[in-house]
Amino acid sequence: MPRFAQLVMGPAGSGKSTYCSTLVQHAETIGRSVQVVNLDPAAEHFHYPVMADIRELIQVDDVMEDDSLRFGPNGGLVFCMEYFANNFDWLEECLGHVDDDYILFDCPGQIELYTHLPVMKQLVEKLQQWEFRVCGVFLVDSQFMVETFKFISGVLAALSAMTSLEIPQVNIMTKMDLLSHKAKKEIEKYLDPDMYSMMEDNALGLRSKKFKKLTKAICGLIDDYSMVRFLPFDRTDEEGMNIVLQHIDFSIQYGEDLEFKEPRETEEEPSNANYDDFFQDKVDD
Amino acid sequence: MDGAPLVGNEEGGGAGGSTQPEGRAAASGAQQKPLCLIVLGMAGSGKTTFVQRLTAHLYAKERPPYVINLDPAVHEVPFPANIDIRDTVNYKEVMKQYGLGPNGGIVTSLNLFATRFDQVMKFIEKKYVLIDTPGQIEVFTWSASGTIITEALASSFPCVVVYVMDTSRSVNPVTFMSNMLYACSILYKTKLPFIVIMNKTDIIDHSFAVEWMQDFEAFQDALNQETSYVSNLTRSMSLVLDEFYSSLRVVGVSAITGSGLDELFVQVSEAAKEYETLTSNIMESKLLNPW
Repeated sequence: MPRFAQLVMGPAGSGKSTYCSTLVQHAETIGRSVQVVNLDPAAEHFHYPVMADIRELIQVDDVMEDDSLRFGPNGGLVFCMEYFANNFDWLEECLGHVDDDYILFDCPGQIELYTHLPVMKQLVEKLQQWEFRVCGVFLVDSQFMVETFKFISGVLAALSAMTSLEIPQVNIMTKMDLLSHKAKKEIEKYLDPDMYSMMEDNALGLRSKKFKKLTKAICGLIDDYSMVRFLPFDRTDEEGMNIVLQHIDFSIQYGEDLEFKEPRETEEEPSNANYDDFFQDKVDD
Repeated sequence: MDGAPLVGNEEGGGAGGSTQPEGRAAASGAQQKPLCLIVLGMAGSGKTTFVQRLTAHLYAKERPPYVINLDPAVHEVPFPANIDIRDTVNYKEVMKQYGLGPNGGIVTSLNLFATRFDQVMKFIEKKYVLIDTPGQIEVFTWSASGTIITEALASSFPCVVVYVMDTSRSVNPVTFMSNMLYACSILYKTKLPFIVIMNKTDIIDHSFAVEWMQDFEAFQDALNQETSYVSNLTRSMSLVLDEFYSSLRVVGVSAITGSGLDELFVQVSEAAKEYETLTSNIMESKLLNPW
């Protein structure tokens, strides 16, 4: 029975941790169980309980303070990740083996980890060995995409990550709830982009022939491959979140070979003192 | 953070002694404005070493540059910096005061600095301005303050983006493509003339990269040997990149040995000309479309 994983990636500040906590809450409301593993050794604090935390294995602060190593923040991070890659059995132990697991892996932001170091690719391979179906989820702060050129920049960054990991990928524009009304309208153009008309609007901004041709080629790519498109993520919008989840589930074929399970009861009263319900569920598995 | 204005550390940069007459042009707004080279690149690509080498090179040519360090977390700056973000912002203090981790600390330090950046710009002079950016690239390219600083510079001075790549890490065609896509993403973000520096040519010659950029089929062959992942998509991406390469300036450099620098400056002056055309185009289009 397969297990399912989302690798949550994106530049620093794009909202990965918020995405994870929001998705966990959302999943609960629809009766699904989603867990989170923190893989960012430089993370500060989270709003959600985690199944496993890489900082229990190794922390950037400790590495940086080590006199014999003398690393700065980046060297420290690389060291941590390479250490992690040499100790995958730690992760295996934390994950245990529960069928039908659905786990979000909150990953560090630095793009170097995806392009230059093999560690993320190694993680993907390991997860696949452990029978996980993995989907990459690439987050970009929507506030950085409110303009044609910036949007294209975001697409290219997502593609850059996609190329190195070789797994299905869903791209998400986060913090939609923080956009002004005007910005939201602007962004809507890019959500279901009719790229060529978008290009025409900006013809005056395209200063040279070279940019025109390049932009045209990129727009063609976005048009041809829906995988490259971005989905909006607004943490106050349940419907939107459902759509995102559906897309991801579809790409990893979640739900296709689920056995029928009793939906978990949502707790309306204070929990049962001797946790009968809890143990009952486990037995049924 | 106290309220005192920024002080440019002139002593640090003027080792050569004399200020060039053209240095005062920035203030007078007359002819030659200083040309800003914004050095970007992934962590470990060799940006700081490159800036160090470039600085030494320019001093040797008696054109000492104005150097700005924007990396708040660097241990030692191996070149004389006229402006150093670490003089204004104490990265460790920021982390402590705001309860941040190292990344948060860097981003916040940069944010704090960006609020004072207009003062920095008053000090900029000399013929060349070199700007060394933080180690982790997205702290600069995907942050509001990085954008603010870049746009502030670009609106006042001719700017060229110098994107430093670690040649030795790009021998795998997948990594190469991934890296180039990222470079392309930065091109779109900054919209500035762009030069790619294939650094560390002392370790490995960059001719393989040039071949890949000039011969699409050669690149495809190399790629096909590595991966079959969604080959249609990767093929289409290579076509996009092909377009990107056709007008890309690439120079092979070794920051350690100094090779390639003369070629670099040829490209830099070409790029500066491109900036002039760009500005006049934008001016024109603004006249046509005032909103």
